[in-house]
Amino acid sequence: MSEPTADQLRRRALALFGRSLHIRTVDTGSCAVCESEIRLLSAPPYDLHRLGFFLTPAPRHADLLLVTGPAVRAMDNALLKAYEATPDPKAVVAVGACALGGIYEEDGLVHGALDRVLPIDVYIPGCPPSPLALLQGLLVAVGRLEERVAALSFDLVAEAER
Amino acid sequence: MTARTQTQKLPAAFAQVAPGVSAAQIDSAQLGAITHELADVHRARLADLFASESEQGAVVLRAVYAHDTESRYLVLECPVSGPLFPALSDLDPAAFVEECEIYEQFAIRPDSVKPLNRMLMPPHAEESFPRLGRRPRPPLKDVHARHVVAGEAFEFPFGPVRAAGWESLYMGLVTTGEEVLDLYLAHWHKHRGIERRLAGLESERALFFTERMDGLNAVGNGLALCRAIESAAGATVPTAAAHTRSIALELERIYNHAAAIAATCQTTGLSVGQARAEIVLERLLRLNAAAFGHRYLFDVLAPGGVRRAPDTAAIREQLPGACAEFRRVVQALLRTNSHVDRLETTGVLTREQAERLSLVGPLARASGCTIDSRADHPFAPYDQLELAPAVGEGGDVLARMKVMVAEVAASERLVLDQLGDAGPGRIDVSPRSAAALGWAESPRGEALVWVAFDSRGSIERARLRPAAVRNWRAFDDAARAQNVFTDIPIIEASFWLTVAGFAR
Repeated sequence: MSEPTADQLRRRALALFGRSLHIRTVDTGSCAVCESEIRLLSAPPYDLHRLGFFLTPAPRHADLLLVTGPAVRAMDNALLKAYEATPDPKAVVAVGACALGGIYEEDGLVHGALDRVLPIDVYIPGCPPSPLALLQGLLVAVGRLEERVAALSFDLVAEAER
Repeated sequence: MTARTQTQKLPAAFAQVAPGVSAAQIDSAQLGAITHELADVHRARLADLFASESEQGAVVLRAVYAHDTESRYLVLECPVSGPLFPALSDLDPAAFVEECEIYEQFAIRPDSVKPLNRMLMPPHAEESFPRLGRRPRPPLKDVHARHVVAGEAFEFPFGPVRAAGWESLYMGLVTTGEEVLDLYLAHWHKHRGIERRLAGLESERALFFTERMDGLNAVGNGLALCRAIESAAGATVPTAAAHTRSIALELERIYNHAAAIAATCQTTGLSVGQARAEIVLERLLRLNAAAFGHRYLFDVLAPGGVRRAPDTAAIREQLPGACAEFRRVVQALLRTNSHVDRLETTGVLTREQAERLSLVGPLARASGCTIDSRADHPFAPYDQLELAPAVGEGGDVLARMKVMVAEVAASERLVLDQLGDAGPGRIDVSPRSAAALGWAESPRGEALVWVAFDSRGSIERARLRPAAVRNWRAFDDAARAQNVFTDIPIIEASFWLTVAGFAR
């Protein structure tokens, strides 16, 4: 008896994303320290490439958006464009205390928390989150992406197999 | 070049209001005259220009001059009535950025026909957009090249979202295809209105925001704020706490310079050099965490002292090894011709340009200016320490790298020399109805903070001027000096400024 199709797809997603997940970063008004920690993700002590993650310069190649900062309103346009340009299935990860809503109040300048602008899949707390915390958050995000692929409707799955 | 006759004396006597700070109240006619006179004083520079507005709507303009040979800051206070204030940028080009900011925030215009540029207000800013003062009218123009200039050049838009690890910044590169003829920056995407947020806060909460305004300079800017608060209260911090602050500040300088060198390798495409420099950077950040409990040294400072003493044993054990590793990396980089070739004569800033724009920090020092607020405007414990500002020559990316390398060695010595004297210590400071200036030499140069308290002890107006506000204005000059596209990231890495610090 063949494996249930959803499981097959889940394993394909794991194979697909688990070994090559592309990340696009967007800064919505951070203090530059979260950026510094993201920069260190590719440094030898952490080396996110060994886990199959890659940083990409184009949202169209990305599976995951890594977003820092308190969601400054002036960045809305750029942020939404990056989100829309990222193909489905995609995940959005909010990075740091600003993005989680811990630093800024909502006002005319900032939204104050990223989930007021975008649907967030994973929250990584910390001011700043250390590179290891970022890596753990990324692994959680991969799990969410797998769930999302597994939840695709069976019509689509059948179509894909045809 | 004609030599300007320069005098050594300030034009008039001003009353000293705090150690190293003099102040005077003048009228707007005098402000222009004094600026004119100061232009001829040797090593006097416009360090800041800002406005504040009382509840009754009266606007006061303040110009902060630094006279580096006399170790004195001069705060000139000038009430402004009506919609115009004296235009200083015609006499001193360093004032232009601040004049635009004042117009955006307070709707008063410099008395000049010069067009003003957009600084921090986004183009969609409406009536309700939070500002320090009134809404300007008409709104400021964006600076853009016409799409086609002289039939050939066009503006290549880049940003605001950029590569991983680089902050949001819009760059308009004016080019004919390869050479960058001109460059426009838009920092407003990251404006969070920190100065406005500080109004009404207590000192401690204000320090929290100031550290998170520009995290890579948390200690530099935070120390400038703490010193302004303490100066307004007339307080002196305990000696042990002053040494602890200095250790944190020098550790911040060391890790930032290592990060700048790692970023320079990234931008020249030297992956091995980048990896080795990042290993050192990670060691330094872990050292910060071991010494003070935070990789980026947040929450070390407190108004009136420090929150904790450093773990001196951890510093003594780990710092010499990390710095020795840093030197090995740098020596290898300087022997790598393909890397050094990309740095030489790239992004040149002449000494004349650096002086004209009143630049500060390693950037100015690499162009040959002997300027370092630790030595020029010393405060405890720097008045007791032996300081020799590292001055470079040439003003290119390589000169900036060499200045940073020399500063890492100097900072390492400063940290190790002070370990025996550092400790905890905090006094109660509660300034009321007072205002004062504070400063510190952050990794990127002189950071200034001016703060005024009301009778209840909350902040009435805080002016934050991180080094980035000074130094970004030189970026287009450096980028224009016969550079091509791929030089721009190298120049940006060697400036190692934060967008967050400018846009605050």
